[in-house]
Amino acid sequence: MKPENIQSTMRLQGLTPLRLKRSIVLGFKSIWMRKLRSLLTALGIVFGVCSVISMLAIGEGASYEAQEQIKSLGSQNIILQSMKPSDSSGSSEQNRSVVLEYGITYDDIAQIQETVPGVNSIVPNRKVKDFIWFLSNSIDATAVGTVAWFPQMRNRILKQGRFFTQVENDTRSNVCVLTEKLANKLFPLHSPVGKTVRMRTSYFTVIGIIEDQVVAAKNDGTAESQAQSDSEDGMEMFVPINVLKEHFGDVLFKYRSGSFEAEKVELHEVTIQVEHSDLVVSSSKAIKNVLSRNHRNQDYKITIPLELMQQAERTKQIFNIVLGSIAAISLVVGGIGIMNIMLATVTERTREIGIRRALGAKKNDIVLQFLIETILLSGIGGLIGVGLGISIPQLISHFAEMKTIIQIWAPTAAFSISVLIGIVFGIYPAMRAAAMRPVEALRHE
Amino acid sequence: MLKEVIIELKNVEKHYQMGPDLVKALDGINLQIFSGDYISILGPSGGGKSTLLNVLGCLDQPSVGTYLLEGHDVSSMNDDDLSQIRGKRLGFIFQSYNLIQQLNVLENIEVPMFYRGVPESESREVAAYLADKVGLGQRMHHKPTELSGGQQQRVAIARALANDPAVILADEATGNLDSKSGRDILQIFDDLNQEGKTLVMITHDEGMAERTPRVIRLKDGKIVFDERKEVKR
Repeated sequence: MKPENIQSTMRLQGLTPLRLKRSIVLGFKSIWMRKLRSLLTALGIVFGVCSVISMLAIGEGASYEAQEQIKSLGSQNIILQSMKPSDSSGSSEQNRSVVLEYGITYDDIAQIQETVPGVNSIVPNRKVKDFIWFLSNSIDATAVGTVAWFPQMRNRILKQGRFFTQVENDTRSNVCVLTEKLANKLFPLHSPVGKTVRMRTSYFTVIGIIEDQVVAAKNDGTAESQAQSDSEDGMEMFVPINVLKEHFGDVLFKYRSGSFEAEKVELHEVTIQVEHSDLVVSSSKAIKNVLSRNHRNQDYKITIPLELMQQAERTKQIFNIVLGSIAAISLVVGGIGIMNIMLATVTERTREIGIRRALGAKKNDIVLQFLIETILLSGIGGLIGVGLGISIPQLISHFAEMKTIIQIWAPTAAFSISVLIGIVFGIYPAMRAAAMRPVEALRHE
Repeated sequence: MLKEVIIELKNVEKHYQMGPDLVKALDGINLQIFSGDYISILGPSGGGKSTLLNVLGCLDQPSVGTYLLEGHDVSSMNDDDLSQIRGKRLGFIFQSYNLIQQLNVLENIEVPMFYRGVPESESREVAAYLADKVGLGQRMHHKPTELSGGQQQRVAIARALANDPAVILADEATGNLDSKSGRDILQIFDDLNQEGKTLVMITHDEGMAERTPRVIRLKDGKIVFDERKEVKR
C-alpha cells in the first residue's frame, strides 16, 4: 500500500539541517498558536534588550560629546587659567589696594618657555568683556586677544575667511575673527566678513568666522565644566593680543551693584603645547613648580585635557559596568519569566508529549522541540528588543536633542545574550518534558 | 494456513506498587499474535486490558517475562530503542483521538514519519495518500478542532498507518463516537484487516467480539478466554 520498502525504515536518525528546519517550523506553529501568551512571555526579553541598547546608546552619546569637548582642548595641551584668589587666602594688603592684581603674567610665560623642556608653543589669551556693536545691534561679548596659531592649537576650524596672522599681530592691525554664534547674533542679515564692528571706542574689521567651542551638556560631570570655568556663552571675538593690549590696557573695570572694582590681569588663559602627549604629565609638574614660585596665592588653575580625557574614560567604564549589571539583571529576569511559562507549557502539553513519544519521538526529540521553542521565544523577543532599542535612541536624539550613538556590537551582543538566555532557561523545562514516562503522559488530562 | 508470529508474550507480569500492596495488573500472560490477526480484547475494568495494551505498545515494559516483537526482545531495550520501535513498527489509535491541536490533518499524519526521518516531500505524499484512503481527501488542511469526532478518528487511523506498522493497536477506538461514526470506523478496521493488516483492539463492546475472528478475554490480569471463529462479513 505504500511506495516504500523495509530498507527505508532503517534510515539514519541524525540531526540533519532539514530536520532542524522542520523542528523550527514546528516551534513557530506552537508559538503562533498561543500568540498572546508568547508575546507576554517574550516581553521581559524585549524590554531587557531594548533598555540595554538604548541605555548604552545614550551613555555612549553623552561620553562622546564630553570626549569631543576635551579633545577640542587638545591632548598635548596644558591650559593655565587666571583665577581671582579667594579672599581668605589673599593678604590684607591686597584687599586694601584699589586695583586687584592677580593671574598669570608675561613673566611666567617667559620663565616657562625657558625652563620647562618639551614646550612646543604657547598661546596666551587676554579677555575683555564688553558690548560689541554693529550698526545699532549690540551684544554682550568677550574680546579675546590671542596669537595667530590659536586655531590649530585648540582644534578649531575656520568657517569663513581666515584667522589673523603673526604680521597683523606685530603691526597691530584692527582685525577680528568672530565665533559662529556671535556672528549669527550680530549679523542676522548681513555677511559679516569685511564689515566693521565696534567695542568701546575701537573699530575692528571682521576677517573670518571660527567654529564654536564644543560645549557638553552642563550636567554631565565636573571634569568637563572645569575646562570651561569661565562659563563662556560662546560669544567671542578674537583679536590680535597686541591690539587688545594697546586698546584696552591691563586694568579691567567691573561695575558691580553701585560700586566698582578694578582688576589687573595680564593673561587670562594660556595654552601650552608640549611636543608629545607623553610629556604632558611631566611638563605640567614643571609648570606647576614655576608658577608656585612666582605666585604666593593660588590665583591660577591648571587644566590638563589629557587627564580629563582619562577621567572621562574611567567614568565611562564605570557607567558601562553599571549599565551592564542592570542589563544582566533585566535579562535574567526575562529569562526566568520564560522558564516559568515554559514549565507551565510543559505541564499543559503533557498529553502532546505523550502522543509524540508514542509516535516515535525519542527523549532528545522532545528536548529539542521545547528548547527550540524557548530559543525562538527569546530570539524573537531579542529581535523586537533590538528593533525598539535602535529606534528609541533615535527618537530621543530627535526630540530631546541628546546625542546617542549605537555601536554595532551593542545590538549584536544583546541579541546573542537573549538567545543564550533561551538556551540556559529552556534546558530545564525541556528536560522535564522529556523525562515524563510515555504511559503517564498519555493518561494526563 | 501457516502464519508468521509477530508478537509473542511469555509469562509476562506487570506489577504496580499501590501503597503497601503489590498489585499484579498482568499475571502470567502467554500470548502469540500472528500476522493478519484481528483481535478484540475484552474484560471488566481493572482486568488488565489497558496494561496489556501499554505493554504490547512498548509504552510500558513488563516487570517479569519476555516480550518478543518480530523476534526482537523488547523487554530489554532502552528508551531510545523503544521510541524507535513504537514509531516504526506500531500504530496507535486512542479513544480520545490524541491528535496534535496545532497541526492540520496532513501534518498530524506526518508526525510518525517525521520522527523516523522521512524527508518532507516524501512524507507529504504518503500523508496525502493516507488522508484520501480514510476519506479525508477534502479536509487535508483542516485543524483537528474543525473536524467531527469520526473524522478525527480517521486522521488517527491514517497516522497509525503512516509507517506501515507490524501491528495496529486500538484502545476503545469507538468509545467516544456515536454509533454511526463508530460503525464507519469499524468498517475501516475490517477493510484494513482484509488488506492483511494486523489489528488488536481493546473494547467494552460485546458487539465487537462478533466482528473479529479472534477474541481474548482478560480477568484479574489473566487470559481467561482465547478463541478463533469464522466471521462472516
